[in-house]
Amino acid sequence: MLERFREVNNTFPKTSEILEHKGKSGLVFGWLCTYVPDEIIHAAGALPIRITGHRQETELEDGSAYLYVNNCSFSRSCLQMGLRGEYDFLDGVVGGSTCDGARRLFDLWRHYIGTQFHHVLTVPRKYTPEAHTLYYRQVVQFKEHLEEFLGIQITDEKLRQSIELYNESRALLKNLYELRKLDNPLITGAETMEVLDASFRMPKELFNLCLNDLLRDLSNSTQTHQGKARLMVTGSVLTNPDFIKSIEDQGALVVTDELCTSTRYWSDPVVLDGDTPPLQAISQRYLNNFPCARMFPSDERFNRILELARDFRVDGVISQIIRYCVPYAHDLPLLTRRLQAQGIPTLAIDVEYGTSGSGQIQTRVQAFLEMLKVKQR
Amino acid sequence: MINAEEKKDKIDSLVRACGVLLRMNKARPDGRKSERLYYEMLANYYTRLQSARDEGKFIAAHTVFFPTEILYAMDIVPMHTETTTWMISLFTGECADLLSAGADLGLAPEICTPHRGLAGAFAIGALPRPDVMLWSNLICDNTAKSGELLMEVNHCPGFFLDHPFQHSEDEKKYLVGELDSMIRFLEEQSGHKMDWDRLAEIVGLIDKQIELFREICELRKAVPSPFHTQGFLELLTIDYLFPGQPEAINYLETLRAELAEKVSSGQGAVSNERFRLMSFFIPPMYLMGFLERISQEYGAVSVTEPFFTYWGEGRLDPSRPLESVAEKSYMIPEMRMYGPLDDRALKSIVSCAEQYKVDGAIYYADVGCRHSCATVKLFKDTLNKIDVPMLTLDCDVVDPTITSEEEMREKLEQFFELLEDR
Ligand code: SF4
Ligand code: SF4
Repeated sequence: MLERFREVNNTFPKTSEILEHKGKSGLVFGWLCTYVPDEIIHAAGALPIRITGHRQETELEDGSAYLYVNNCSFSRSCLQMGLRGEYDFLDGVVGGSTCDGARRLFDLWRHYIGTQFHHVLTVPRKYTPEAHTLYYRQVVQFKEHLEEFLGIQITDEKLRQSIELYNESRALLKNLYELRKLDNPLITGAETMEVLDASFRMPKELFNLCLNDLLRDLSNSTQTHQGKARLMVTGSVLTNPDFIKSIEDQGALVVTDELCTSTRYWSDPVVLDGDTPPLQAISQRYLNNFPCARMFPSDERFNRILELARDFRVDGVISQIIRYCVPYAHDLPLLTRRLQAQGIPTLAIDVEYGTSGSGQIQTRVQAFLEMLKVKQR
Repeated sequence: MINAEEKKDKIDSLVRACGVLLRMNKARPDGRKSERLYYEMLANYYTRLQSARDEGKFIAAHTVFFPTEILYAMDIVPMHTETTTWMISLFTGECADLLSAGADLGLAPEICTPHRGLAGAFAIGALPRPDVMLWSNLICDNTAKSGELLMEVNHCPGFFLDHPFQHSEDEKKYLVGELDSMIRFLEEQSGHKMDWDRLAEIVGLIDKQIELFREICELRKAVPSPFHTQGFLELLTIDYLFPGQPEAINYLETLRAELAEKVSSGQGAVSNERFRLMSFFIPPMYLMGFLERISQEYGAVSVTEPFFTYWGEGRLDPSRPLESVAEKSYMIPEMRMYGPLDDRALKSIVSCAEQYKVDGAIYYADVGCRHSCATVKLFKDTLNKIDVPMLTLDCDVVDPTITSEEEMREKLEQFFELLEDR
C-alpha cells in the first residue's frame, strides 16, 4: 500500500490524479502554509494541494537568483519549481503571513509566475480573543474572495462535508501514529513520511481510502521495527523521507515528529458542534492548532513538543533547521533548554531543504546515538 | 573577550563618544548646526538612560519600529536595542565580542547580526538590564522572534506587540487593541499611568515631524541635492529615538532651513554632483566615513531612500491619540516592505526614481537580512524597466569581516564607470 503513496510523491506535482482532475476541467489551488484552511478550497469544489519544493536537495540557481541566497532553501526550491513551470496547472495560490521566507515566496510568485488567483491571509501571532476575531474575519474574506473568483456559493453544508472528510483524514493519521507509540512500532519514520507527504498532495477522498487500506495491512502485519533509540524530529519543513531513513539506517527509530508537514498539519480536528458555524469552527482550529515557531508565546509549542516526547517515549530529539529558517533557529536555544530540563538530549543540525542526510549529518547522528546509549546505561 | 571587571554596561562609553563627536563638530568651521543638535540629542538620550540606570528608574528595552511615543507619554525611559547595540559596536569596536556572545546563547550564524549582536550585548551586560522587554514583528522574523530569548536573558517580563500584516479596518482595530493591552501591561509593570493628554500632544508633534520629513525630502529633489549621502541615517534615528519630541522638531526645522538655504544658493552636498543615487537598506555602519569620502570623490549622492525616508500619505489626529499611533505605524516608509509586496510598493520606487531624477541605485544586501534581500531582484527588474541600473553590494550592517573597504571601493568604482558611460 505504501507504494501508492510513493508513486504520488515520486510524480508530484504532476501526479496522475492532478492531471486527471485538470483533464476534467477541475481547478487546482496551491497553498503555502498550514495556516491556510484547505477545507475551504475543497468546499469550493477545487483540489487543494500543498506547494513544496524539489524532492531532493538540488542546485537552486533560479530560486537563489530571485529570492537571494539568504532565504531558506525551502522557499527558493518552491519558487524555482514555480518558475520552471512545474506548477503551471495551478489556478490559484494561497499563502499566509507566516514567516519572511513564505511571505516573500508569495510576493515573488505573484509577481513572476502567472497564476490567476492569489490570496494571502493575515495570521495573527497570538491566541487572544481579539486575534481569533481577526483571523476569523480573514477566513471569511478568503471564502468570499474564492466565491467571487469562482462565481459560486460555498455553503455551510459544503463546508461541513469538507470538514468531516478532513477530520476523517486526521483521525486516520492519528491511528497511524498510534502504531508508532508501540514498543515495537509497525511502521518506520521514513515510511510514515511517505504517507504524510501524500496527505497534502492527493485528493483527500482517495487518500483516506488508501490510508484505510494501509492501516488494515499494518494491523495484519507481523513485521515490527526496533531501534536503539526512539527519536523525535522537529524543526523546519521536511518532506524527504530519505532524510529520516538516513537516521534510521543508523539503528534509531523516528517515532514521532513535530513538523509543519507532519503532526502540525494533521493533529487537531475541527470541532463541529451543533451551534458553531463551520467557518468559525475552522478558524478556531487553525489558529489554535499545534503552533508553528512564528507564534507567541512559544511555550504553547514547546509544551506540546514535551507532551509528544512523553507520549511517544522519546530518548532524544533531532532539531533539523534549514539554513536561514529564522523562526526555528531562534527557538532552538529556548527549546533545547526545556528538553534538557526533562532529561531529553537534543541534536541540532543545519540542513538544506530536500537533503537526504549527508555524510557529515550521519556522523553527527551516530555520535548522538552513542551518547544516548551511554546515557541509557 | 570582554574581561570580568569590565562587565559594566557600555552606556557611559556612548555618552563619552557622543561628547567627542559634538566637540569635533564644534571645532569644524563648517560644522552643520543640525548635526550639532543631532549629537546633542544622542548625548541626552544616553545620559538619560545612564541616570535611569543609576537611579533605578524604570527602563523599557524595545526593538526597531516600535511606538516609542507611548513610552514618552508614560514617562518611561526607552532603550532602542538595535541602535544602542550598533553604537556600542561602532564606538567601542566590540562587534566580534557581541556576536560571539550571541552565538554562545545558541543563536545560529544565520540570525542577522543586529539581533545576534543585541542578544549578545544583553548576555554580557554591555546593555543595561531593562525592567521590561518590548518587541514587535516589524519588520521581520528576527525582530518577531527576538523578545522571548531576551526576556530569559534579562530575567524580565515582556510584551510582544503583534502587528497585523495587511491594512484592513479589522487589522487596524486589532492593532489599536494590541497597543491598548500593551499600555495596560506597562502601567502594571511600571506603576506609571498613561498620560493621555501628553500622548495627544506628542501625536501632534509627530504629525509635524512627518510633515518636516516630507519637506526635507522635497528639498532633496533639487539638482544638485543638498543633503549628504548618509544623511538619511540621521532622519532614521530621529524617528527611531525621538518621535514627537520637541528637540526632534528643532533639529528637523534647523535641517530644513539649512537645506533650503543650500538649494536657493544652488549648493549641493557634493561639490560636483554627477550621479544621483537611490539607496536600499542600510550601508555598513563601520564604513560610513569611507562612503562619505567616495561620495565626494565621485560626486555620487544618495537623494532618496524609498523605504527609509519616503513617508506614506496621511495626517495624524491628536484627538484620537491611540488610533493615530496605529496609523503612524502604517505610514512608516519601511512599511511598504511589510505586508504583501504589491504593485503599490513597486510603483513608489519608480515614482521616487523619476521624481528624484535618479541615475542609479545601490542595494546594500545585508547577508543576514532575508526579507529585504528577497526583494533585490524584484527591485532591480523594476528599475531596469525605467533604465535605472542597480548595484547590489553584499555586506553586513555591523560585522566588518563580511566586506572590506577595498571590495566596496572596487564595486562602487565599476558602477560609477558604468553610469559615466551611459
Ligand atoms: S518556516 Fe522556515 S523553512 Fe519554512 S518557509 Fe519559513 S523560513 Fe522557510
Ligand atoms: S537586519 Fe533585516 S532581518 Fe535583521 S532586524 Fe533588520 S530588518 Fe530584520
